[in-house]
Amino acid sequence: MTTSPQPWGEGIGESDDCEEGHCITCGDVAEPLRVVNVDRERMLALCENEGGARETVEIALVGEVDEGHELLVHAGTAIAHLGVPA
Amino acid sequence: MKFVDEFRDAELGQVLAGEILNAVEPGRHYKLMEVCGGHTHSIYKYGIDDLLPENVELVHGPGCPVCVMPMGRIDDGIAVAARNEEVILTCFGDMMRVPGSEQTFLDAKAGGADIRMVYSPLDALRIAKANPDRVVVFFAIGFETTAPSTALTLMRAKAEGVENFLCICNHVTIVPPLRALLDSPDLRLDGFIGPGHVSTIVGVRPFEFIPAEYGKPLVTAGFEPLDILQAIRMIVAQLSTGESKVENQYKRVVPYEGNPAALRAMAEVFELRPHFEWRGLGFISQSALKLSEAYADLDAELRYEVPGVRVADPKACQCGEVLKGVIKPWECKVFGTACTPEHAIGTCMVSPEGACAAYYNYGRYQRGRPAEEVAV
Repeated sequence: MTTSPQPWGEGIGESDDCEEGHCITCGDVAEPLRVVNVDRERMLALCENEGGARETVEIALVGEVDEGHELLVHAGTAIAHLGVPA
Repeated sequence: MKFVDEFRDAELGQVLAGEILNAVEPGRHYKLMEVCGGHTHSIYKYGIDDLLPENVELVHGPGCPVCVMPMGRIDDGIAVAARNEEVILTCFGDMMRVPGSEQTFLDAKAGGADIRMVYSPLDALRIAKANPDRVVVFFAIGFETTAPSTALTLMRAKAEGVENFLCICNHVTIVPPLRALLDSPDLRLDGFIGPGHVSTIVGVRPFEFIPAEYGKPLVTAGFEPLDILQAIRMIVAQLSTGESKVENQYKRVVPYEGNPAALRAMAEVFELRPHFEWRGLGFISQSALKLSEAYADLDAELRYEVPGVRVADPKACQCGEVLKGVIKPWECKVFGTACTPEHAIGTCMVSPEGACAAYYNYGRYQRGRPAEEVAV
């Protein structure tokens, strides 16, 4: 069994409540996040939102991902690639 | 933020509202259902219904996975957490206050069960890795938008040899309840605003049966105010010309064929349940997912005893009629009196995506009937 902590120590982890009274995980809602760093071997990316909050995101569903790209993220998984900001 | 600001432009919203007004036929009533709870939330957050002509009525569909969860499944989760002291039950935040027959997850947590909220299945897996002497059970909910996330995490757990991570799978699928609604004699709809992010995964093709078999248009839409207004305009345009087809307003995110990688992951990890109970809609065949044979060793329902008892909703609760769009939230006997977001009786008041909570939280309950105390 793997017991080592995530190399990305900045995931949101356990939550206390839904953001702004709006639960992003159960309402078919997704949030655009910017990629900060990519671990291609593990298919994970460290991403942040406009407010700077960071989370670790699964990137197996969205093809090639690089630093600076924007992803649409639902429940910790990128479900669409929004491209590269101008 | 790209794809956000430009879809909240108030002036363009007025232009679209004017185009809808010009397109509707006086004397004709347009009853449109927004399938997804996320759309319901946006409609009341941004006051979209106030921009529409009086003869365009929006009714709220069953697309909030919290709202359609029967009480018995909550009881099952509580039983696994409370009867097995090695278990850490993890779930999304909205599930915490959903009433079971006697308790919510929050009540059970207060009573000593180890129940924790997470933002993603990946976070639940992280808790499992950090607690190798415990068993972490992820209480999975959601439509096809969320199911791939659960699938990928279960695949990751297997690949990494994490043996203390299990799942109670409550994932549901969108097409069977839509067919049930269309077959319901209670409800006559003219068209659908299709679910945006579910379609990111499954594509637009699965909805083609709606125009083909029932002659109703469906337009898949994004979640910003201009997305929803544009989708309504597209539906009204179809109805004006007597057309019915599937259109995709949310092309910037939704590919017509969906996401093949997500569909492959779901096909590997899940299989269809023969039937599943939906709150308000009853049992619907092949409308939910369970873990496949290959992932049965990660199925908490096989590892632990679950009651699996069907529990009837409280008599005063009219969530079923709200979920089918038969009544407006404020027409429910207990709306805003005995049932509020703080003390919810029905699931539609618990989730922010629930139609009742959306009405209540954005002050739109004032249009309803006078408040009066109703016995529960």
